[in-house]
Amino acid sequence: MVQQEVLDRLYSALADSTRRDILVRLGQGPATIGELADPHQMSLTGMKKHVQVLEDAGLVSTEKVGRARQCRLGAERLDDAMAWITFYQRLWERRLDGLDAYFTLERGTGE
Amino acid sequence: MTTSPATDEGTIELRLSRVLPATPEAVFDAYTDAEKQKIWFSILDETPGIVEIEVDLRVGGTQTAVWGRDRDSLFRETQTFRVIEPPTADRPGRLVTESSGSSPDGMTMTTDIVVTFEAVDGGTLMTVVQKGFPSVEVRDFFASMAWVGALDRIEAYLTR
Repeated sequence: MVQQEVLDRLYSALADSTRRDILVRLGQGPATIGELADPHQMSLTGMKKHVQVLEDAGLVSTEKVGRARQCRLGAERLDDAMAWITFYQRLWERRLDGLDAYFTLERGTGE
Repeated sequence: MTTSPATDEGTIELRLSRVLPATPEAVFDAYTDAEKQKIWFSILDETPGIVEIEVDLRVGGTQTAVWGRDRDSLFRETQTFRVIEPPTADRPGRLVTESSGSSPDGMTMTTDIVVTFEAVDGGTLMTVVQKGFPSVEVRDFFASMAWVGALDRIEAYLTR
């Protein structure tokens, strides 16, 4: 099942705390490999490997800008992942918020 | 689609709870009644969209919700009832279901859900525990990013 392979790759990419930190950082805006490596006191080569894993999983896209490689969130795939991981979280919030409003209104009308 | 046998360890457990201003019997009824669901499911929608609810409240029966802005962006969730225990004076209510969700782009997943309805001061503590998501790391990742807004909202609720 192709979709399953995509997800497996996604999960193994996310299984590493450094890579999750990279995604959080890129969530604030694009960054170069050097800028990503800096807070982790990591070599450029080490950071490139992490970025490559994220890129293979479709979570990050990169492009050469001058001498540096600019990284940004690969929003499409992240949206895919969110579509079904946060799917339920949004659904339950909708339900709990809706029930809350329903009973609050009902109580407000004196029932 | 069946739930992976690996769900017992290293999996995500999504847990949400809310104190609702009504008795457990009333909350259980509103949660499981199709007509009431249609009201509260879209009660907070700012713009009218599509909401379709069907409920067959019996063990083996299903509850289906379909919703979205328009026909091209419909979400769907079907829960199959495994255990149905309405709340009584001396026992919290409990619903155990297997849920199959699908998003507009055709992705689907199946998870196990336990919803409880417990009497507390001020009404009913409704708790949702959902299991079967494939990875702890993904939960942590989304907990740190996507769910920040949700926690803010819960906190706003608690402190209002």
